[in-house]
Amino acid sequence: MPQVEYKGKVFDVDEDGFIDSFDKWCPEWVDYVKESEGIQELTEEHWKVIHVLQDYYKKHGIAPMVRILTKVTGFKLKYIYELFPSGPGKGACKMAGLPKPTGCV
Amino acid sequence: MPFDPNDIMKDRITDIGPPKYDNFFPPYIKENYGKWKYHEILEPGVLVHVAETGAEVYTVRTGAPRLMSVDYIREVCEIADKHCGGYVRWTTRNNIEFMVDDKSKLQPLIDDLRSRGNWFPMGGTGASVTNIVHTQGWVHCHTPAIDASGIVKSVMDELFDYFGSHKLPAQVRISLACCLNMCGAVHCSDIAILGVHRKPPFVEHDRVQNVCEIPLVIAACPTAAIKPKKVGDRKSVEINQNRCMFCGNCYTMCPALPIADGDGDGIALWVGGKVSNSRTAPKFSKLAVPYIPNEPPRWPTVVQTIKKIVEVYASDARRYERIGEWIERIGWERFFEKTGLEFRHEHIDDYRLAMTTWRTTTQFKF
Ligand code: HEM
Ligand code: HEM
Ligand code: SF4
Ligand code: SF4
Repeated sequence: MPQVEYKGKVFDVDEDGFIDSFDKWCPEWVDYVKESEGIQELTEEHWKVIHVLQDYYKKHGIAPMVRILTKVTGFKLKYIYELFPSGPGKGACKMAGLPKPTGCV
Repeated sequence: MPFDPNDIMKDRITDIGPPKYDNFFPPYIKENYGKWKYHEILEPGVLVHVAETGAEVYTVRTGAPRLMSVDYIREVCEIADKHCGGYVRWTTRNNIEFMVDDKSKLQPLIDDLRSRGNWFPMGGTGASVTNIVHTQGWVHCHTPAIDASGIVKSVMDELFDYFGSHKLPAQVRISLACCLNMCGAVHCSDIAILGVHRKPPFVEHDRVQNVCEIPLVIAACPTAAIKPKKVGDRKSVEINQNRCMFCGNCYTMCPALPIADGDGDGIALWVGGKVSNSRTAPKFSKLAVPYIPNEPPRWPTVVQTIKKIVEVYASDARRYERIGEWIERIGWERFFEKTGLEFRHEHIDDYRLAMTTWRTTTQFKF
């Protein structure tokens, strides 16, 4: 597994840049990934999406369906794409440290 | 503007959809759109459509491997430039169709196609075996039990004679899917080639917690064979091997449950499906052979079994009868008898609505 070092932290990532384990997540990870996800500045709204994803994952063991994410955050899907240009899966879930989405994506 | 990785949203174009289909209509198709009067199949691979305006359009259909290089596509374009005013189209079974608007242009096109060896074989019309709708196989997918391109090439080589002729009772659609996700048309084809596993997945306990969403894995199983299990201090899953029928759906959801296996994997053959509504309603294909081993690179057992089914059907079915209609007329016991295929316990449905497929009548043939 390739390793990346950022602000003194070391992360193991897969070929798509997803972190190897949710337990290794830390705020520096979000800061490191934001650039490759096309995000200039992290706003409170970015953090809101990230925290909703993390809380849901800790409680249920899965990422929320898009419908649930939009309902809980109050952000329409279009706005989530404005925050995370690669979308809720490749963008937001990656930054939140969740496992890579699977299935016929 | 060139793509700027530091500002990925700059000059970004999105939601423009495909180009409108009629941008690429040959002029004579555009002019006669919605005014077609009748058509004829002139010879295998060659159609003529006649419009109310009197316009005629000649179509030459050629087989194609579906997976093709840019060089090959350039050759298609070169032919289209030379004979068809730069226009060409692909069919829903991935054949290629060259069209000309005048009979005098037809023979030069045909001669040119024939002069290119077997790169552009003419056929696929009428009561033929046309192109095989198929999938990715070992070329690109991560869940296959078999290859796609290799088997398709082997089968079409053996049935090539049926591609460029009209000697069957009706058209025979063959499809292939390399796992039972069934991408494509295997569930509704006259003959279907399907990749199957015969062993349960291997559970990589130390990876499950990190790379899988365990509730999704549990919900993925059609037979409820999976339950959560703690291994050491890690969350994982346990598979009840007696309930698993090796569908591989849990691996689709969870990369830590690999299922592919060189010895276990192989091919099931299905028969009797159709999608059209002509004469009888559309049908699902049904299991004919539960398992044939993978035999790359030419898969001789599969090829010979399919050939046998086609030959028995060709000699026994009535005109216009699709394989499924023929089997329903003679009965499944006669189908197994005539083809010499072995009837095994795997043929008997045992999933949920299975009872509807058992025989609840005394009508059968010895
Ligand atoms: C949701 C809509 C549709 C679906 C799912 C669909 C699906 C299919 C499938 C699975 C086949 C292969 C049939 C076989 O194995 O025998 C097929 C063939 C074909 N379909 Fe469709 N189809 C649709 C709509 C249409 C429409 C609207 C048209 C024409 C206006 C069309 C024209 C054709 C033709 C011409 C073929 C035969 C092509 C050949 O043999 O080369 N289809 N379609
Ligand atoms: C009034 C207009 C049309 C009618 C009533 C019509 C009718 C039919 C029928 C009944 C078939 C089935 C033939 C068979 O299975 O033996 C067929 C096949 C076909 N038609 Fe048409 N058609 C019309 C116009 C067109 C046009 C404008 C095109 C495209 C330029 C077209 C393309 C095809 C193709 C690709 C097939 C499949 C031939 C084969 O696989 O044997 N049709 N058509
Ligand atoms: S049929 Fe299965 S293995 Fe083949 S391309 Fe589709 S998902 Fe992949
Ligand atoms: S392979 Fe299919 S049947 Fe077996 S455990 Fe996985 S999902 Fe269930």
